[in-house]
Amino acid sequence: MTNLEQFTPLFHPRTIAVVGASATTVSGGNRFIRNLRDFGYTGHIVPIHPTAAEVEGLKAYRSLADVPGEVDYAYVAVSACVAPDVLRSGRDKVKFAQVMSSGFGETEDGAALESDLVAAAREAGTRLIGPNCLGVYSPAGRVTFTEKTLAESGTVGIVCQSGGLGIDIIRRGQSKGLRFSGLVTIGNAADLGAAELVEFMLEDPTTKVIGLYLEGTREGRRLFEVLRQANARKPIVLLKGGRTSQGQRAAASHTGALAGSQRAWEALSRQTGMPLVDTLDEFLDSLLTLQCLTPRATASSRAVLFGNGGGTSVLGTDAFDRAGFVIAAFDSHTLATLKALSLPAGASVANPIDVPAGALQQDDGRVAERIISAVAASGVAEVLVIHVNMTVILGFRHVDMLGNIINAALRVRETDLTGMHIALVLRSDGDAETEERKRNCRIRAIESGVPVYDELAQAAKGLSSLRMVEAFRARI
Amino acid sequence: MHEQVALALRAARESGQHALDEPTGKKILHAVGICVPRSVVIEAGMDAHAALVGLKPPLALKVVATSVIHKSEVGGVKLNLRNGADVISAIADLTQSLQARDIKAEAWLIEEMAPQGVEVVVGGTLDPEFGPMVMVGIGGVFVEVLKDIAFRICPITERDARDMLDELKGASLLHGARGSEPVNIEAIVEVLLCVGGDGGLLMSSNDEISEIDINPLIVSRQSAVAVDARFILKETGAKA
Repeated sequence: MTNLEQFTPLFHPRTIAVVGASATTVSGGNRFIRNLRDFGYTGHIVPIHPTAAEVEGLKAYRSLADVPGEVDYAYVAVSACVAPDVLRSGRDKVKFAQVMSSGFGETEDGAALESDLVAAAREAGTRLIGPNCLGVYSPAGRVTFTEKTLAESGTVGIVCQSGGLGIDIIRRGQSKGLRFSGLVTIGNAADLGAAELVEFMLEDPTTKVIGLYLEGTREGRRLFEVLRQANARKPIVLLKGGRTSQGQRAAASHTGALAGSQRAWEALSRQTGMPLVDTLDEFLDSLLTLQCLTPRATASSRAVLFGNGGGTSVLGTDAFDRAGFVIAAFDSHTLATLKALSLPAGASVANPIDVPAGALQQDDGRVAERIISAVAASGVAEVLVIHVNMTVILGFRHVDMLGNIINAALRVRETDLTGMHIALVLRSDGDAETEERKRNCRIRAIESGVPVYDELAQAAKGLSSLRMVEAFRARI
Repeated sequence: MHEQVALALRAARESGQHALDEPTGKKILHAVGICVPRSVVIEAGMDAHAALVGLKPPLALKVVATSVIHKSEVGGVKLNLRNGADVISAIADLTQSLQARDIKAEAWLIEEMAPQGVEVVVGGTLDPEFGPMVMVGIGGVFVEVLKDIAFRICPITERDARDMLDELKGASLLHGARGSEPVNIEAIVEVLLCVGGDGGLLMSSNDEISEIDINPLIVSRQSAVAVDARFILKETGAKA
């Protein structure tokens, strides 16, 4: 069986058994069933209940053993001590069982129970996911484990050791414009680990970018070999939890992570061309960058910043410098072209290009297109970052300056032969009206393959992840 | 595993040691292709004169004692000895000063001193998650105070080895900073591959070696010489 065939039942299950849904109250299992239905899941949902005939209006079975036919995926949310027997009862029937319960290897005396759980899964011929996790999200398979997840599927595949953070990744990620091919929370990863899922996602044609949140690994050698073999052919971003000694203690009690050397994770990142990031937002921004932009054949290290705001241009230049970019100088021809635009006093046409909002509205905002064209034609940079102070821009109500700038960027990209990356920073003041505009612009830009960030520093970080992947591939 | 390495590890284990003595460690390094100083080992109480024939001064004298891991910390090393008479009087001095610390020399290692150069540290460890790892740093304050060290998971490629050196903040010292000569980068890369490469010491020792510390590896324009080597074996729990 190929990797793809092996994991199809997990991401496209035809039958889902739910162990731990109540006939009288609303437990985790009940919420899972409700979320599945809300999400439009069309397969069979089979509740398992020791006594009730019906759960959530669905016919219930006494045991996994009583379910007619195969179960692709079993959602198990029962107390830890009975979980091994639940798995045993599904012998030769259940392909994947995800055990949400905690109280296993992450606790002081749960190690034996975890070993028993793994043994039970092996006896039953079931692949175990977890324990101590939350579920699987597969928009194409209409499977989810939480509310308000988008049904629209995308290209980003996630392996997340933490359940709760998995929800953050989906929810905050989709607000930022990420679209997922799938997400699996693996908790203690007692059986199915990150390496195998990465192998699957590397083969899965719908996944273009992979994100990993890990706190530790029990299969470091295999993970290293899989990633090394992959040679960054699909970009992979790593968010590693527990990289400080105090964080490591927290990780040990969260997912039972081993106390490994953080140097090893840094080495793993460098040896496999996998950007290693520190925060959830850096993770999401890096994934968004790689979702939108296709890595170039050489490292994108020269950037042009263009926007309104002098102080922001200076801070942005600092952020890009720190992130390892060169804010490239224009050649004399490009400078002459930009000067010929006769921008008003206060504008600066050197890089960073700082043009006040008032000047950008000239000619219905067409001046932006001329600037972007000149930058593209100059060939001095592989990255153009357009940043907009929305508070100021939206003050000019008679003209859709923001829309014009985005349109200009997209038009220039159509004809640009240099393949320059274009990114957009929409700087908001948090005002409801501004946020609303920002949301709409963000969706439009991202659908057109332009990543959108909240600040220049975030853009610098996200784009530096892209640069790392490019630099790694360029040296293969 | 290299036969000589396997034999040395087995012998150490059978005699209940958790570390290899320096002459054995250096034999292993030599066997896998790492330069070590030309040397002789004489048993305690034996005459040094005859043994020294063929060694080119200046010489270094080091105590060999199973109980001693850090020789210089217990004053078990004398450097820059010019001839046999120097060596014999140094042995007498050290015997006495070590006795005061209750250390009994089992043997003496007498080595040619390596040509001057930059002191580099090359090490190997077993990471609980990823297994064998190799490290490199520049000796002295760079490693000890600034923790300017680069690590890689084994097996490393030649590219990894070069990246490790480039990653060091003190890399310019290797390229000839402050008017000094650039050192032999190729020789360091070679040592890193012998320790951490495919088929290198760490990958072929079946995780029996829990720690290797080549400190210093003295790198000059010509060569990289392992001047001291410490091998710690993995605790098996079983005592021989």
